[in-house]
Parts: sequence; C-alpha cells; structure tokens
Amino acid sequence: MFEQFCIFTPQGDVIYQFNCAGKKFLESQINRFLSQYITSPAPNEETYKKYNLLSVSGGLSGPGVQGPRGFSAMFHISKQPELYYVVTYAEQSLQLNEEAAEILRLSISLWNSLNVNEEIVRNLSGRGSKNEHNFTDVVDGLDKDIETFDKYLKVKYEEFMGKFDVKNTELAEASLRKKAINSKGKKKSTGGGQKGRRWGRDGTMEETGSSDASGLDFSEAGSASSSNIALVDKDALGNRTKDGEFLIKEIDDLLTSQTDITKSTVQVGNVNSAFGFLKKHLLGNKTITESDLTSVLDKLRQKLMTKNVAPEAADFLAQKVSRDLVGSKTANWTSVENTARESLTRALTQILTPGVSVDLLHEIQRKTSKKDSDGKKNPYVFSVVGVNGVGKSTNLSKLAFWLLQNNFNVLIVACDTFRSGAVEQLRVHVENLAQLTDESHVRGSKNKRGKSGNDHVELFEAGYGGSDLVTKIAKQAIKYAKDQNFDIVLMDTAGRRHNDPTLMSPLKSFAEQANPDKIIMVGEALVGTDSVQQAKNFNNAFGKVRNLDFFIVSKCDTVGDMLGTMVNMVYATGIPILFVGVGQTYTDLRTLSVKWAVDILMS
Amino acid sequence: MLGIPVLLAIILVLVTSSFLLILQRNTGRLIPNAKTANKNREPTFVIAGPSYSGKTCLYNLLTMDKLRNTVMSQEPSVTHSFKLPGSPAVRLMEFPGHLKLRGKLLTELKNSTNIKGLIYVIDSTVDPKELTKTAEFLFQIIQLTEREKNGVDILLACNKSDSFAARQPLKIKSVLETEIEKIIQRKRNSLDTVSGSLNRTNEGEDKEESEWDNMELFESANGFRFEVLEGNVDAFEGSVSKRNIGKWDCWIRERAVN
Repeated sequence: MFEQFCIFTPQGDVIYQFNCAGKKFLESQINRFLSQYITSPAPNEETYKKYNLLSVSGGLSGPGVQGPRGFSAMFHISKQPELYYVVTYAEQSLQLNEEAAEILRLSISLWNSLNVNEEIVRNLSGRGSKNEHNFTDVVDGLDKDIETFDKYLKVKYEEFMGKFDVKNTELAEASLRKKAINSKGKKKSTGGGQKGRRWGRDGTMEETGSSDASGLDFSEAGSASSSNIALVDKDALGNRTKDGEFLIKEIDDLLTSQTDITKSTVQVGNVNSAFGFLKKHLLGNKTITESDLTSVLDKLRQKLMTKNVAPEAADFLAQKVSRDLVGSKTANWTSVENTARESLTRALTQILTPGVSVDLLHEIQRKTSKKDSDGKKNPYVFSVVGVNGVGKSTNLSKLAFWLLQNNFNVLIVACDTFRSGAVEQLRVHVENLAQLTDESHVRGSKNKRGKSGNDHVELFEAGYGGSDLVTKIAKQAIKYAKDQNFDIVLMDTAGRRHNDPTLMSPLKSFAEQANPDKIIMVGEALVGTDSVQQAKNFNNAFGKVRNLDFFIVSKCDTVGDMLGTMVNMVYATGIPILFVGVGQTYTDLRTLSVKWAVDILMS
Repeated sequence: MLGIPVLLAIILVLVTSSFLLILQRNTGRLIPNAKTANKNREPTFVIAGPSYSGKTCLYNLLTMDKLRNTVMSQEPSVTHSFKLPGSPAVRLMEFPGHLKLRGKLLTELKNSTNIKGLIYVIDSTVDPKELTKTAEFLFQIIQLTEREKNGVDILLACNKSDSFAARQPLKIKSVLETEIEKIIQRKRNSLDTVSGSLNRTNEGEDKEESEWDNMELFESANGFRFEVLEGNVDAFEGSVSKRNIGKWDCWIRERAVN
C-alpha cells in the first residue's frame, strides 16, 4: 500500500490529497520530497514506466532523536496547467512501484477526463469568476469535480488492489491444489501395498487393513465444502460491490471516451504561417510550440557547448527551457529567440545558485566557540580532494591565507604521502604564509613547538607512506590541533584519477576516520566535459552518508569565457561552487557570483 | 517625377531603421546602454520569508478568506489589482522561500519601483539562536529595497503566535538586528566576489551590481539598527492558522491608502 498521494500546483496549493492509511495528510512529507527535488542534482534519470522516481533520504538522527525516516516518491509533472502528481511510499519494491505507477496513470487519466484542467487554466489566467478581493481561486467551481475525482479514484484503486489480491490468492490456491493432487497421487500409489497405520495418542500403533485408508481421505468432502464457501463468498462480493462495479463501468466509459477525444483533436495544422513567422520573429505575443523552439534551442545548445558545457548538461538546460516555454506566450515585440535566451538565463541562474547557504566564517566561529569539558575547542577541519594537478595545494594555501587574515590559527596537514615533494611543497607555502603574517619570521626557522611555520600557521608532517598512513596522520593532526589550540585544520590529500577505484576507495575510510567538517573538491576550469564524471565520482567516493560540501574551481583566469565546467560540476552533483581561483597569488581566491558566471556564459 | 525618389528614400529609411530596431531587440547589444528598463510601476505588496513560515497560507487567507493545505511553493503567486475592502487595488505577490528559488524575488525587487510594503513572514517559534538564516535572507532583501529613494517599509510578520513556544515580536526584531550586524562583519571579512572579466577588458564593464557596496550605509555608532534604514520596519505578531492577522491587516491598509 502506498502512503500518500497528492496533486498540487507549483505555487504550493494542494488541490487533492489522499492518505492511503486514512490518517491525517502530512504535508511535511511532501515538503521533504520537494526540498530534495529542488536541490537534487539536475539529472533525474531514475524512472519507472515514464514516471520519475526520487528516493528521499531519512533525516539525520541525532543522539536520542529518531530522525524522520526515508521514503520513495514517484511523481509526474503535467504541463498546461503545471501540476505535480506525487505518490509517496515506504520503499522501492516491485509491487509498490507497480502500484504507484498505476495510481499515477489512473489519476492522470481521470483528471484529464474530468476536464478539470481547462477550468484550472482558466482560473490561473484570471478569467474565472472573481471574489471580492479580485482574486480567482485555482479550484474555483471545481469542488464537485474533485469530489467525483476522489470517489472514482478510490473505487478504481480498490478495484486495482482487488485484482492484485485476486491474482495473489489465485496463485496461492493453484499451488495448494497442486500440492493436494500430488499428495493424493502419492496416497493412491502407496495405498495399495501397504497397510494403514493408526497412531494412538499414547504412542501405540494399530495396524489396520488397506481398505480403511479411505477413512483417512477427507480431501473429497473437504474440497467440496471449501468450493461451496468460495461460491458463497463470490456472491456476497458481487452483491456488495454492485454499486462499485457500476461506478467502475462508468469510469471506464469516461476514460475511453477521453482517449477518443484526444485522438480526434490531435492537431489542426498550421494555418496562416506567414503571420506566424512575423509573430515569431518580430511582433511577439505568440504562443510558443515545440516546433518553434527546436531551431532556437539547437542554437543555444551549440553556444553553450562552445563554452565548455558538457553536451548532457546543455541538453538538460535546453529541456528545461522548452518545458518552461512551450505553451506560454511571448511578450509584445519580443522574438521567440529572446524569450528562450531569457529562460535559459533563468535556468542557468537556478542551477548555479546554491541550495544550502554556506557561511564558512559563521560555521567556523560556531564550532570553535564551543569548548568541551577540558576547556579545549575542537578545530574546524577542511580536507581538499581532486584530480592530479588541479591546484589542491595552491588553493589550500589561498584558503589558509584568507583564514589567517581573519585571525584564525591554521594547521596545515600534509596528507599527500604519495607524491615525492608534496610535503616539501607545502612547507614552502607554510614559510610564505608565515612570512606574510609575521614579517620578522625567518625562513626555515622552527617555531616554539619545533615545527615549520610560526605561532599562527604550522605544518604537520609525517613523511611518506601508504594509504593507511594517511588516516593515521589525519587523526594525529586533529588531536594535535586540539591540544595546541588551533582553530582550523587544513588537510591536503594526494591527487587521484577519478576513474581508478583503487585510488578512490581509500577516500571513504579517510572521510570516516578523519571526519572533516568540510570536504572540498578542487576542479580546474580547463577540464571541460570530463568534469561531469569527475564531480560524480568524487562525490560518490565518500559513500552514501557523506558528500562533497563544495567546489573550488581553479584556473578560471586561463579559460576566458569558457566557464562551462562550473555548470557541469553543479549539474552532475547539485553541490555548490563556493570559490573560484582567478590567479597565481595568495589573494586570488574569490567568492563565486552567480550573476557574473551567468553573464559570461550567456554573452 | 520628383515624388518617386523621395518616396523611395523615405521607405528605405523606414526599412533600415525598423531593421536596426529588430536587430537590436534580438541581440540586445547593437545600441549600448539601451537595456529595456522593464520597471514595474504597479503598487505592489510582496510576501516573502524563509521556508515553512506560512507565506502561502497567509496569501490564501488574504485572497480567499480561507485556509487550504499548502506545500512548499516553487513558483511565485500573483494577484493583480488585489482589493482589501475599503482600500485601493494593489498587486499582491508571494514568493517561494527556498534558497534556490529566491532569484525571482530579488529580480522583482530590483525591477519594481512602487513597492508599497514587504511582508516578511517569520516563524516565531524558531529558537532565536537559529535565526541566522532568516536574518541573512532579510539582509539580502534590505540591500535591494534600500536602493530606492525612500526605501521600502517592511513588516516582520511573526507568525504562529498561538504556539506556546512563540517569541515576542520585539525580541525577534532585536535578535535579527544583532544577527544582521554579525553578518555585515562576516561579509566584510569574506573573500571578495568575483567580478568583471578575468583576463581581457570588456568594453562598458559596469560594476553597478556589486552586491555589498552599500554596506557602510547601514552602520551606525552601535552596530546595525533597523532605525537607520530609509524604510520603516515594524514587527507584529499574528497567527495565520487562527486567522488572527488583524495587526498585519491594518499595516497593509495603512500603506495601501498612501
């Protein structure tokens, strides 16, 4: 059994709701679905019978608090009017998926056949009757229709579930009968030669003649009586649901007539095409159809791809534009192309806008202001991951410079124990940073703890070795930072190829053991189409419970206006870009401005 | 005949000028600084606020005098020439609160020049310590509304006052002030926002949209205060689910009349 079904508008008005268990309808479940739907990465490939699927993960359960459990949702979005049909159910299983798909199919066809849509479109466009506030309710004058919808849907659903049950019971009965026949056959074959035995309650055995075997065979009478019961049952069922069956017939008639109508009114054809051309390119005020958009969208897609946007991301954006525009009207004196451009700008802005607010300084302050029982604070831990040569160490030092400027004490940890020279490279950065924060710092000198750096910035190193050394260093470093009163730990990791499982698998245990507050992936703007795969693989490398937290896109100064990599990475994972690297010096790290990126991409 | 060449010339001029106009429409950069200023002058009330604070419910209550179940909005709702009994018609808009969907609100605030008031709905049962996000959103809005000459009046509508965990509106207001003060501090310390073209100088590069340029405006001797804003900021409690929105109603009427 599914849990809840509801139909609502994108404005948030619930038009129809149904809780299968007969309980109070819980909007919070739908809200959780929606917030995941909005923030989830762009491609929703998961579908079942042309309906979209989305698994909503359970909430975080803190100590002693049971977080809300996860659930699955199957949904369909209709155009004209835009309505969301959502079914939620406990988990994805064959039976539940089937059931949810059936509910969606039923409700959509019922909804269409009741002609509710036209009314809703009319109400939404404000042509319906208005109340004293000059407002038209979406469902104005539709109460009756929705009631009928409710009734019909429930009947059809029951019928469907009935069929499901009948199928199951039939199967069960059939298997039972088979067994009975088998056992009968056995009895018959063995009955001849052997003597029947009757066991007394006290364990005594009594031999009886073979003719007595019939006395043991109750099957004949039994089956007859059971079939009688079945007959009676069936009659009762028929009587009881006569009303229901009548309804079902009515509904079925309705549904079939509807399909006829849709078939007959497929398309009327293009009349006055010359005027259409003018409207399309010049006059505006034209209702946009799919065919108007194809050439325009092709053009825009090409343009996006020249800016390094991966083809799949470009396709997705084009789809979004066409979903946004088909059926809508262009403004006066605006061509279809311009309208499409505007829509694409909106789509790009939405995709690049972060779904969670990341205020790093606030989070750091909040964590480091809490002290444990010993009066020590836990440091805020960053770890940086990425493919080889994208600038992990460089961006880490840029980040360190910014944090140092904000008067935090920073411990830089050399977790790259693999590439020769990695530790030495970090030492150079630490020396530079120490010099920048304190001009009296002498290069190569040790601080009072005997480490490279000064009081504010320090290098934690433990030489080179295998991947188990990495987690060891990470844990030690965090403990050291806590003891020495550092605010921030920055961990540099070894670069790794994203499609090599042997290199990627240690990341999971690293994330579990070190448990950084923020895992940052550095991606270079140069990479192009491969960035989709890179971001996906790195995001998945940390297991199901952990994700990347944000991206730094480096080397933005080297690509001109080809910023497509940004779109690709966010498109693939739904994780925001926080900073962009725009140069060689420590100050060349900037917060991303979505407007800036969109403007460059659309120019 | 003298008429024909003149006629031809006139037609030619007409054709070329219309052609240019169309081209300009379609590319938008033939004539610089000819950005179509789609400023909206309709008197408008805006309902905004973080998710789950009850914006859509308030909208429904205002427009239909009844409550309906709502889920998270994804699109703004608009009523043109919305009428409260006894006050002139205005436009009423309600915007989704989800972070990813705030763009529409921000563009609307930029483009509308006649916003009579902004109703910022707050869930007053939220722990004051958790109001950072609410303050951030409000700060974002204020930065845009303060660009107007007289600012925009803001009503902090502290919803859900019927709940026992509800905080007093004045308390919420002062918490928001301190939070915004902290946000300004942090913004000052954060990295700059990337702007301009990176390696080549684009002609006509304008820095008009620099987001934090007018932060100094909000500074007074002892931190951020709502009083320093051009627009008035009032905080009233109310409860949509109990239909107890009298104070907000008054506030809206007052501003609709002016």
